[in-house]
Formats: sequence, structure tokens, C-alpha cells
Amino acid sequence: MGAMLSTPVLLACIIVMISAAFLLIVQKTSANVIPGASKQKNRAPTFIIAGLPQTGKTSLFNLLSTDSNKPTVMSQEPNVAEDYMLPSSHKNFKFKLIDFPGHAKFRSELLQTIKDSSQLKGLIYVIDSTVNPKDLVDTAELLYEILSVTELRPDGVDILLACNKSESFVARPPLKIKDALEAEITEIIKRKSKSLMRNSKKTSNGSVSAEDEDDEPTALQQFGNGFQFDRIDGNVDSKEGSVLKNEVDKWECWIDERAMN
Amino acid sequence: MIDQFAVFTPTGNLLYGYNSLNKKFSENQINRFVSEFVSQPVKDVLSKFPIISTSDTSYMYHETKQPRLFFVVSFASAESIQLTVEAESVIVLANKLWESLGLNEIILDNVSGKGKKNVHNYRFVTEGASDQISKFGSYLEAKYEEMKKTSQQKGKKQNQSNNKPNSAMPTGKGKQSVKNKKDLNQSKDSKNLKARRWGRDGQIEETGTTDHSLDFSESNGKVGSSSELAVDLKSDRQNAAQFGKQNDKGEFLISEIDELLASTKEKSKAKAAASSPFSFLQKHILGNKTISEEDLKTVLDTLKQKLISKNVAPEVADHLCNQVSKDLIGSKTENWTSVDQTARESLQKCLQSILTPSVSVDLLHEIQKKIKNKDSNGLNDPYVFSVVGVNGVGKSTNLSKLAFWLLKNNFKVLIVACDTFRSGAVEQLRVHVENLAQLTDDNHVRGSKNRRGKSGNEHVELFEGGYGGSNLVTKIAKQAIKYARVEHFDVVLMDTAGRRHNDATLMSPLKSFAEQANPDKIIMVGEALVGTDSVQQAQNFNQAFGKERNLDFFIISKCDTVGELLGTMVNMVYATNIPILFIGVGQTYTDIRTLSVEWAVNSLLS
Repeated sequence: MGAMLSTPVLLACIIVMISAAFLLIVQKTSANVIPGASKQKNRAPTFIIAGLPQTGKTSLFNLLSTDSNKPTVMSQEPNVAEDYMLPSSHKNFKFKLIDFPGHAKFRSELLQTIKDSSQLKGLIYVIDSTVNPKDLVDTAELLYEILSVTELRPDGVDILLACNKSESFVARPPLKIKDALEAEITEIIKRKSKSLMRNSKKTSNGSVSAEDEDDEPTALQQFGNGFQFDRIDGNVDSKEGSVLKNEVDKWECWIDERAMN
Repeated sequence: MIDQFAVFTPTGNLLYGYNSLNKKFSENQINRFVSEFVSQPVKDVLSKFPIISTSDTSYMYHETKQPRLFFVVSFASAESIQLTVEAESVIVLANKLWESLGLNEIILDNVSGKGKKNVHNYRFVTEGASDQISKFGSYLEAKYEEMKKTSQQKGKKQNQSNNKPNSAMPTGKGKQSVKNKKDLNQSKDSKNLKARRWGRDGQIEETGTTDHSLDFSESNGKVGSSSELAVDLKSDRQNAAQFGKQNDKGEFLISEIDELLASTKEKSKAKAAASSPFSFLQKHILGNKTISEEDLKTVLDTLKQKLISKNVAPEVADHLCNQVSKDLIGSKTENWTSVDQTARESLQKCLQSILTPSVSVDLLHEIQKKIKNKDSNGLNDPYVFSVVGVNGVGKSTNLSKLAFWLLKNNFKVLIVACDTFRSGAVEQLRVHVENLAQLTDDNHVRGSKNRRGKSGNEHVELFEGGYGGSNLVTKIAKQAIKYARVEHFDVVLMDTAGRRHNDATLMSPLKSFAEQANPDKIIMVGEALVGTDSVQQAQNFNQAFGKERNLDFFIISKCDTVGELLGTMVNMVYATNIPILFIGVGQTYTDIRTLSVEWAVNSLLS
């Protein structure tokens, strides 16, 4: 009697176990991809490296991931290190490190990824500190675009202004760069509020809706009269370093602090 | 001689770099290539591998899929056939060497995360391949040196054979064929070369002459068939023997390389693609399938139909589909993703990248920057726009919309009537100016003159010069700029006459106009309604300003009339690689918008 009963129970158990294992495997390999959903959300804790072209993003990525300098050229695709680990972090905290290409053609991908990453721990914004502070318009422009995405979150996203190439004798001090960026962003906000608005993305019944709905994120517009990094939700730190000379301790510390909590 | 050769990943890791002059490898040159490569759609492929040219350097490249790698050769100019052939053979050689050294497998393993990881839980793309890569480097250099040597000897030989023409050629012709690829590039010494340039229409534009090489049978052979190009094998062996004596080690190395290359040929043949029984499921539901050409064919056909139905020109739709198939064939679909969906996403990416401008344009910033530059008298040069386009696309209307936006930003705007051709054009602009003046100043009385005796008010004014021929146009333009400078205008907007893009007599004055007036921005207005002809329109207008000058951006008008049929946008950007900045979406002065690329892509694919 007992044996008779146990056979179907056993069978059921086995089936349950197999399907559980199968589901686990599927989940593990497919990295949160739900069938039918076109947009994949990135739920892993993530750090993103961004910045203009030729500021040293891929070099920094290589330095962080292999502890050595590698020759690089302009990227066309992001570099990704899944389950990246800093040797210094105690809890063996693992996160995803993504290095985005800087070319303007890939900017929308960067912004999309920032939007899609639900656990964005921090963003490392690499800056060429040898650039004259007067010519930081492009740098500020990209930072503005990033901020207008990150500031939509309740707590914002912490941003490190990684002033690279500090080994050069024309490198500007990080605080000076930060101030210059603040001034530039103020100007940009002023200009954006005046420039022509974008056409709305939603098309109602197949025609261009000409309604005056400005879909540009307005998170930054309130700072029209003097933008300051201190006043936004995310913390912004400015630290110098040099990928070439392998002097990125300050940046690693910064990552460490964010990775911990 | 080629300049540089590089192997790199799309993620920006330079795996191997070689400078043929033994100088330091210049990454900047490759950066320029990448930046060109991402910002312009590659269209005509004349040689075996596609070529991208910048002002001083040409790049021939080959892209492999598994793993994704770029093999790039840079050389001085694309117009020399000899260099193209040399570059081609370098890529072929490098690709074969790379494969036979098993580097592809190592990289694939590294990328897919096999193997031991470092302290950072990461595995670099060429981890454990450094020996192979340095081997690759020395092999390639040895082979290339040999190539150069033989081609130099060849050059000497040719000099001799030039003295007694056509003695060597017939033998070479007879013996050529399947034999070594390397023979192909043993063409002539550069001193002995006829530099030629082919125009788009296939006609020779320019022929550089050299002292000798009047031997036409040879240069024709270069162009026509590879048969005459291929070299007299007998003499080649002699050369090789000589070379061996000179450098035993080099000879040894080269024979080693040849063996290596021969052995892999068999290996690759043995590998056959086995189709899995799950392929149907993989294709539609499971994903993780390697995409083949057949899988894509039907999918691409439907996508192409869709694009064409959205007003995309057939040639542009073809290009997009080719791009998608190039992007996808050989790659794997994601888990739980059908081929259909993967193709759609790839197409979306393509469209997005075509429509996204490769430089960001902030007009307000540029205007402010220019007018800040004041000279000692406190005068500044105005920022000059000129608007061109086919008849009736809405040049004047969009110019007025732009003017309204600039007025709202407190710029002083001078509108110049450079359409001296169509009757009523000046009067039409005057109506716009009156309207704009009223909008900026409620007290403005229509038809009244301002204190300078012109139509308009303090903020906006019309500059007119009556009607006349094309000489008058440039005269008015220059006068207007001068006037704007003296009278402290910030922005000058020039309206030009509409012209048919395929009428040379109408298009040619544009060149001198652009040179004389030298506008900061030349804007072309194109209407969304036009359809397939838009490719030609954009191309002709872009070329009308000569080699030195291009259009700066497009305004696509009448977008409210086409719904989702936004193909014209793609056509125009594809044809010229010039971004769309604004779109017109209605009848009033405020109905002008910055283009949202996302919106355009979504409506094209919906």
C-alpha cells in the first residue's frame, strides 16, 4: 500500500524538481528576458562609464578589469563586465560594469541603458582634463543629457566626474572643471528652455500631434538661474586621476563606497 | 605601400597594430576611420572589401562576425589601383593567418566567459592569446616584407620589360590562375604607376602621368582582369630563391606560414554545419539560434515592403535590409527571441543610427558665440542662414517660422529676399515680416516703415533688392550682410528662389552664391510628401555648392500631411549623411519642432 502511494508522489516530486531546475537554468541563462517583451531591463547592480570620445573610457575599463593598460581605438559597442568584482570590497560584492562608446551616434543607447538599469549604483563620467575650461560645452552638453535622465529618479544617481589625464602638465584641477561645468550647464538649461521643442513621440491616430506638449525632461529646468551640482538629488564628486599612469585609486575608492551600500 | 594595418574589436580594443614605416602605430588614424564608419552609411563597394575615404587617407576594412572583429588597412589614396590590390591582399592574408592561428576560437571562448577569470571576475578578450598574436604579428610582417620585396623586384623587371615590351606578359597570362593569392599584389612599383581617378559615373577624371609606363597593355590589364596582373611564376620562384639566399631565416618563416595556411584550408572544409532538430523551435520561440540567410529572407522581404510602404525609396530600403542581414547573418539570436524580432530590432538600430546626427547642433549656442565676437567699433558679423530647396516645398514659410523662434529668443532678425526670380516672392516675404513684426510688437501698424525706412520694426526687417538675374542675388546677399553688420542685426535669414534639382542652369548659381555670401548654415527644405525623388533632390542640392561646401541640415516640411509615411526623412539623410534638425508640423509660426529620432523610428516601424 505504502509503495503504491509513494510511486505517484515520487513521480510528482521528480517532475516538480525537474521543472524547477529547468526554470532556474532558463532564468540564469536568459538574464531576465521575458518572452515578447522587446525591452530588456537590466536589474543587476550597475556602474556605467560614459563620456565624450577619446577621454579614455575604454582604457579605464581595461585598467579596472585587467589591472593593465591596453591599446584602444574608438569603440562602437559597449564593453561589459558582468559580475565585476573589486578586489578591495569585503563582501565580495559583484556588479555589472559597462563602458559606453562616446560617439554622438550612440548617445541614445547610453541614455536608454541608463533608463533601463533599475539598480544604477553610479556613473563614472570621464573627462579629458586637458581641455580648456572654455571649451567644455560638449562635455557639459552630454552631462546635461545624462542628468536629465538620472534626475528623474527619486534619489538621482551618483556621478563621479573622473578628470582623466592628470599626468599632463596642462591638466586642470578637478574643482575648477566642476565649476566650469556648472556654469556651462546653467547656460545650456537657459538655451534649452528657449529652443524649439521636440515633436511628441506618441502619434495619435497616425498623425503628428502638434500639441504643445514638451516631453523634454524638465527635472533640470528649475535650476535656470544658476545650476549647482549640490542642489540636485544625486551626489556629484570630482576627482582627478590618470589611466595612463595607473593612478585611479581615488576613483576605485569612489566605486567602493557606492558598491558597499 | 600601405600605411597601417590594425585588428580591433568593435568594443574598442586594439588587438594588433602595424605601421609599415616602423613608426609608432597611430591610434588616431584608426579613430578617424571608426568615426567615419559609424557616421556614414557605406554605399558603393567597388573592390572586394569596402573602402572608406577621408580627405587624406583611405581605409579598406573587413568585418568578421564570429567573433566580431575589424581588419583595417589604411593607405594614402583610394584611387590607386595598385594600393587597393595591395591592401586587399593584406586583409586576405591577415584574415587567413588569424584564422589558422586559432585566434578566433580563443577570442570566442573569452567572450563567452569560458576559462579562468582574474581577480576582477573578468576575462579579457585576448587572454591567453598573446603568444599567438605576437606570432601573428611576426608572420604578417614577414609575409608583408616578402610581398614588398617581390613587388619591388617586379617593378625592376617591369622597367626592363618596358624596354622590350610584351615579352614577359604572355607567359604570365598562360600560367596564372588558382595559384597563390599573393601573386595578385605583386604589381608594379609605385614609381611606375599610373595614378587614376574614377568619378562616380565611371569616367576617368584625372590621369597622373609618369615618365615611363606608356605601355597601355599593362595598365589595361590591371583594370580588366587579374590574369595579366598575376605574375610570371617562373621568375617568381627565381626571385624567391634569391630571397632565400639573402635571408635563410625569413625563408624558413615563410615556408612555415605557407604550411600553416595550407593546413587550415582542409580543416575548415571538414567543418560542416549540422542542422539541429530544434531549429524550428529555436527560430520562432526559443532563440539562441545562429541566423542563416534563408531564415532572414522572408523576414527581410516583409520588412522591406513595410519600409517602402512608408515612403522609403527602394534603394534605401535595400541598403537597410542589407545592413540588417550583414549585421545578423552568422550571429545568434537571444534566448526567447525569434529571428523575426531580432531582425526588427536590428532594423530599428539601423534607422536610429542613420537618423541620429553625428554631431550635436546647438544653434542658439552657435549664434551667441558668433555675435559675441565684436570688433573695436562694437560691430559684429551676423549669423547667416540661407534656405534652399525645390519649388513649393515651403522655404519662405519655414524661414518665417525660424525667424519667429529667433525673435522669441531676442535676436534681431534681418530677412533678405534673395528670390529675385518668381514674381511676388518679395511681396510674400513682406507679408511674413509684417506678421512677425505684429507678433513681436502689438503696436506695430501694418505697412508702416521703421526708422530706417524699411518694412518691419526694430526687431525684424525686410531687406529687398527687387527682381533680376542671378548676379543680383549675390549682390543683394553681400549688401544685406554688410547692412546687418552696421545696423546691429544678429541673424540674417536669406530666402532663395526655388529651383528644380535636375536643372543645371538653375543649380549652378548656387555655388557662387554660397561662395560669395558664405552663409554659416545652408538649410535645405524638403517636403515629406515627395517620396522616392527625395534621394536625388538631396544629393543634387548637396553637390551644388561645390566640393568645399555642403548643406548643413534639413528642415522637413509638411510632416503633418503624411502621417506615418516618414520615409522621405530616411531617404534624404541616407543620400547625403546630413542631419534633419527641424520638422514643420503645421501652418502657424509655432509649428516647427526639433526632430525626435525615437518618434520617427517608431512611426516608421509601426
